[in-house]
Amino acid sequence: MFAYIVRRAVIGVALLIVMSLVTFILFFSGAFDPARNACGKVCSPAQIEQTSKALGYDKPILTQWGSFLAGIVVGRDYPLDKKVREENPDLVTHCAAPCLGYSMVNTDTVNNVLKSAIPISVSIALVAFVFWIIGGLLFGIIAAMTKGSFLDRGIVGLSLIFYAFPTFVVGSLLLRFVAIKWQIFALPVYVPLTQSPGLWFTNLILPAVTLALFYMAAYARMSRAFIIEASTEDYVRTAKAKGVKKVPLMFKHTLRAALTPLVTMAGLDLAILLGGAIITEDVFGFHGLGLLAVTSNSRQDLPTIVGIVLLLSTFVIIANIVVDILYAYIDPRVRLD
Amino acid sequence: MTTNRRRVAVVGAIAALSVGALAACGGAGGSGGSSSSAAKGTLYYLTQTSAKPEHLDPQRVYIGRDITNLSRLVYRQLVTFPDSADKTAGVTPVPDLATNTGTSSNGAKTWQFTLKDGVKWQDGKAITCDDLKYGASRVFAQSVIPGGPNYLVAYLNIPTNKDGSSIYAGPYDKSAANQAGQAAFDKAVTCNGNTITYDFKKPWPDFPLAIAALHMMDPYRQDKDQGDKSNYSVFSDGPYELQGTWNQNTGGTFVRNPNYDAATDSTTVRKALPNKIVFQVTSDAETIADRLIADTGNDKNAVTDRSVPSSRFSQLNSDSVKSRLTSVSSPYIDYLQMNMKRLSNPLVRQALYEATSPQAWIDAGGGSKAYLPAHSIVNPVVHGYQPNPAFNAPLSGDAAKAKQLLQQAGVKTPYPINFMYEKTTTADKQAAALKSSWEQAGFKVTLTGIDADNYYSTIQKPSNNGDLYWAGWGADWPSAITVTPPLFDGRINLTKTSSQNDYGQYNSPAFNKLVDEAQNASTLDAQTTALQKADAQLGKDYAYVPLENQVFNLLHGSNVTNYLQTPSSNGYPDLGGINVK
Repeated sequence: MFAYIVRRAVIGVALLIVMSLVTFILFFSGAFDPARNACGKVCSPAQIEQTSKALGYDKPILTQWGSFLAGIVVGRDYPLDKKVREENPDLVTHCAAPCLGYSMVNTDTVNNVLKSAIPISVSIALVAFVFWIIGGLLFGIIAAMTKGSFLDRGIVGLSLIFYAFPTFVVGSLLLRFVAIKWQIFALPVYVPLTQSPGLWFTNLILPAVTLALFYMAAYARMSRAFIIEASTEDYVRTAKAKGVKKVPLMFKHTLRAALTPLVTMAGLDLAILLGGAIITEDVFGFHGLGLLAVTSNSRQDLPTIVGIVLLLSTFVIIANIVVDILYAYIDPRVRLD
Repeated sequence: MTTNRRRVAVVGAIAALSVGALAACGGAGGSGGSSSSAAKGTLYYLTQTSAKPEHLDPQRVYIGRDITNLSRLVYRQLVTFPDSADKTAGVTPVPDLATNTGTSSNGAKTWQFTLKDGVKWQDGKAITCDDLKYGASRVFAQSVIPGGPNYLVAYLNIPTNKDGSSIYAGPYDKSAANQAGQAAFDKAVTCNGNTITYDFKKPWPDFPLAIAALHMMDPYRQDKDQGDKSNYSVFSDGPYELQGTWNQNTGGTFVRNPNYDAATDSTTVRKALPNKIVFQVTSDAETIADRLIADTGNDKNAVTDRSVPSSRFSQLNSDSVKSRLTSVSSPYIDYLQMNMKRLSNPLVRQALYEATSPQAWIDAGGGSKAYLPAHSIVNPVVHGYQPNPAFNAPLSGDAAKAKQLLQQAGVKTPYPINFMYEKTTTADKQAAALKSSWEQAGFKVTLTGIDADNYYSTIQKPSNNGDLYWAGWGADWPSAITVTPPLFDGRINLTKTSSQNDYGQYNSPAFNKLVDEAQNASTLDAQTTALQKADAQLGKDYAYVPLENQVFNLLHGSNVTNYLQTPSSNGYPDLGGINVK
């Protein structure tokens, strides 16, 4: 098991290095000139060149990428011009390792920018995750246990509707009617968990429900299908023949087998959501990783874009490893070599 | 303003407003119940995430909304614009930190201002001439604090390097190489007691207009300067100060500055009525409109810089909402620019102009509630505005005349053109409307919508295959010197790798000569005359086609009083006089 985790971690790090290079290359292959954008509205070519030099964009891509990687290992100081730093200690921003760079757009280190966005995305994702796992499994189990009934058809039908509704429509409707017009909930504003757990949760309800409805619909349908499939297995039939009651049969025998593929899906879905629920964060104005990704892209903020790509990739890589390990625990047939 | 799709996303926009004509609430956009001059509670200012302030540093702030808000609350200027709704008075500088609006000599190459007595920073220390000088020096520090208006680099009497850059690199560079630059700066900007003198290398007759419209010449305390780290710091000399820190993602709160002395200020500039002003960065324009239409809770005390999206127009008809809506023309003009290299035949360009239907573009974009027709690239209340004499075709275009011109040009019809524009749902409809008007006149049109992130960088590439481009612009101060020269002077725009702001690669010796004349004029009138001729030259060459002037439809809460959107506030709520019940 340990060897497996180490092997996967090494592959993950290599993947992250490659992804950072790809992001650099993609960024600079576009028509966009980041120095021109940073320079301002009316700039002479000489001023644009001066800005480009100051921001380090005048150097070859591989050199810039090399400096970025070095920063991850040993940290960096900004402004990049050593002479300016030495002459003006007040101007210096130290970015400790693992330094992901400095964002001129946000006038802060990428580490700090991400640090303020991560709790928001994690909060939305976790609350939504709890909603959709509970709701999805619950409705899936009920539908599977009442297969063919009116209730089953109702759940399946509703799932289809929620699955088909785009997230931005659901979010906009909840915001417009539930928060603004009917004022059932206050207009959601992110409140840190440490500041007030109660307000943290109540402010997350609408964004989390927006996300959860979509996933809940999918999970209800899939858990229903997996449960029905598992209930046809020989060992379930045997247990039933031996007189095991319906509810214990479901939770003790059927559900365990049905859960295996769901765990994989849930792990990966959660990992992706941790990287930011772009539409939900945008609709509710929550400045998590999703919204940060959108604004960084539109403002061509390379350091932040690279930081988000690496962070999101890290989430996915870790989630993959965790899912594989969980898989082995849930399904005794799976062995990690 | 990101939602405006304009190149002027970073514009210290001018006061280009026809306020009176459009104000839905009468007069100059004023409304909101009884006038109240007593200091009251908390005012909320709502803006959207994608339009959050990029800079609060006075030498870097370049967005019209932020310039005006900071002027009214925390950054006093040597001279400024009053909160007058009158379109002339509103763009006429009045003294602020200075005792008068400046004295010029040496053919407008030298300007002198004297600081008022008793003006203080928020820590109680007096504002000095050295603070003004230090503020000006920061404009040159392009490599440490880029992004702000840098006109001073071109004007101040400091030698340049071979590549055209200034030999002065700003106050952070203390190297031997910058010593000559520092000496040149110290010679060009001098202090004598409380009097500061600026020595320019060329006349700057509209200098007071420039420094009233932008913060680039504001004083800055050297001991508070942390370069880029100061981007969101506010060290006030105005009636309010920032409570705590500014959060880029959520906003900030401004409270009374105890060291502000109203006796040194004018109530025509800052009445400073609310006790507290809370800036809230929130989701989007639709949500802000919904909140202000609902008018509940704190939103009753709210104003916004976000124009009501056309999707919410139908909800503006009830009396309770209508009375809280103010419509004024924006400081921006949208236009089409012709590619002079590809459309080299002047008759083809003229035919394209004649075939263009600005009305179709306006109708497809929301009609008269959203746009006013434009008759020049210069906004109507810019000093010396006049409709461009070349653009006198009907607003719906003249297909017959266009056909005739194409025939006269001797080109094969249908004549193929590629129209490039910034892609949005609305712009797609507008482009399709133009396509229809052009095709009726004998053109074969390809529409190329490009996403906002890549639009300008694409059309700035000299090798792009566009024949015609959509673009937008707002003046940095109410003079056409910040409109036509930066957009059409090929000498400053065109390089091998970029067309910069001159997307159509226009480079006319006749136009450039008039620009030189304007830039060397020692009086505002002489400068204006030259610029009027320059615009006429552009019209004669059909270098551009004016399309429209966007209308700002801004809602405010029912508890807001003395509501104003003035020319001096660039069409946004003027915090100089607004109060809450």
